[in-house]
Amino acid sequence: MERNMAVPFVLDKALILDRLGGDEEIFAMMVGMFVQDVDRNCETLATALASGDATELRREAHTVKGLLATFSDEAGAAEASIVEQLARDGHVADQAEAVAGLQQRLREIAAVLSAG
Amino acid sequence: MHNVLIIDDSDINLALIKALVLKLGDCSPTLFDHPLAALEWCRSNVPDLVIVDYMMPDMDGLRFISAFRALHGRNEIPVLMITANDQKDVRYDALLGGANDFLIKPIDRIEFSARARNMLSLRTGQKYLADRAEHLSALVDERTAEIREREKELIFRISRAAEFRDPETGAHIQRMAHYSQIIALGLDLSLDQQKLILEAAPMHDVGKIGIPDYILLKPGKLTHEEFEVMKGHAKLGHELLKDSRSEVIQAGAEVAISHHEKYDGTGYPYGLKGHQIPLFGRIVAVADVFDALTSERPYKRAWSLDDACKYLEDGRGKHFDPMCIEAFLAGWEHVLDIRQRFRDEDVPLI
Repeated sequence: MERNMAVPFVLDKALILDRLGGDEEIFAMMVGMFVQDVDRNCETLATALASGDATELRREAHTVKGLLATFSDEAGAAEASIVEQLARDGHVADQAEAVAGLQQRLREIAAVLSAG
Repeated sequence: MHNVLIIDDSDINLALIKALVLKLGDCSPTLFDHPLAALEWCRSNVPDLVIVDYMMPDMDGLRFISAFRALHGRNEIPVLMITANDQKDVRYDALLGGANDFLIKPIDRIEFSARARNMLSLRTGQKYLADRAEHLSALVDERTAEIREREKELIFRISRAAEFRDPETGAHIQRMAHYSQIIALGLDLSLDQQKLILEAAPMHDVGKIGIPDYILLKPGKLTHEEFEVMKGHAKLGHELLKDSRSEVIQAGAEVAISHHEKYDGTGYPYGLKGHQIPLFGRIVAVADVFDALTSERPYKRAWSLDDACKYLEDGRGKHFDPMCIEAFLAGWEHVLDIRQRFRDEDVPLI
């Protein structure tokens, strides 16, 4: 089961700000938290995969989906959604590559946000 | 200040929702990243709005709402459930399971503010109605108490009206009413029943209002015919008080008709025996006779307490219900106290 995040992440700050009612302060807080938490979120995903527990992987993929959606990464959120749905059907071990893809996406976004 | 409870296992979502809640103004957010800890907090705290994520470890949002709604007094508190855009089935379940509305991730500030404000308005309305209901309930209690006090006062005044036509005194009705209460206590009647007999006993002789003065105030012994008329006061009192909607006056009617019945069936007006005689009638019979014996009247001296007690003992199972005599004598210290409190020379007006 091989999937690649085909579309590179592009920060659409205007869209995110529009959703936050133009509040730069909240946007800055979220960016700071995302960057700060990225390693922990990647680790949590890895731990869920390693546990072999489909429920745990489903929940973590769901959390990542929400995180990516918060930064308007529709492509990334769609990939996380697939992992979540497959985990709901009991798939864990065969999702290693997809999980690695999500981790990579999280780090990619963190890098873009940090540079931003 | 609205207390807004936010539950989400994602730190970034918690921070985002907290910031949005603070932007609403007049809100104090309380944050939990674990639903079980939030539920524990809810046992002793009442939020004005709950914002809860759907997917969380150990307990999802649906189960949280169900457990939260099961807590006492938490059934009406508004709950907003946060779900992902692709979880339509979850949103339906949330609405059916007790959520008032939902928010879709990623959270949109305008949508969030509108829905949160709507929920808080709902809560404000609920609190207003609850406060108003409480206020009205207190007002009803207050007015009911006033009416009860007025009822008590009227009963006492009617009872005294009968006493004014009689050599007996206002203090007599106070003493015999309190003796009746002592007997009710000794018989282990409920507090409500004790209070009821205290208030109803003064009406025992209210029927004397209908007895002609030449009989009621006759200094000498009554003839057979006169005594027959005199005995009519029991039925007259009952006639006067019966069919009332007031529990106290109903009890007064019962006391009036039955307080001259005797345990062995030789009393009047119906010659009832033993437990055919209503309990309140059996109680008041003891209280009334004891006070009549131990009080001084223009036509007789007061009996000593020993002689009066002997009279009661002798009448046990004949005139009086033995259980009522037991109960009266068991409360002897209270009896002496009541004699001190209500003397003939200082009759309280009410």
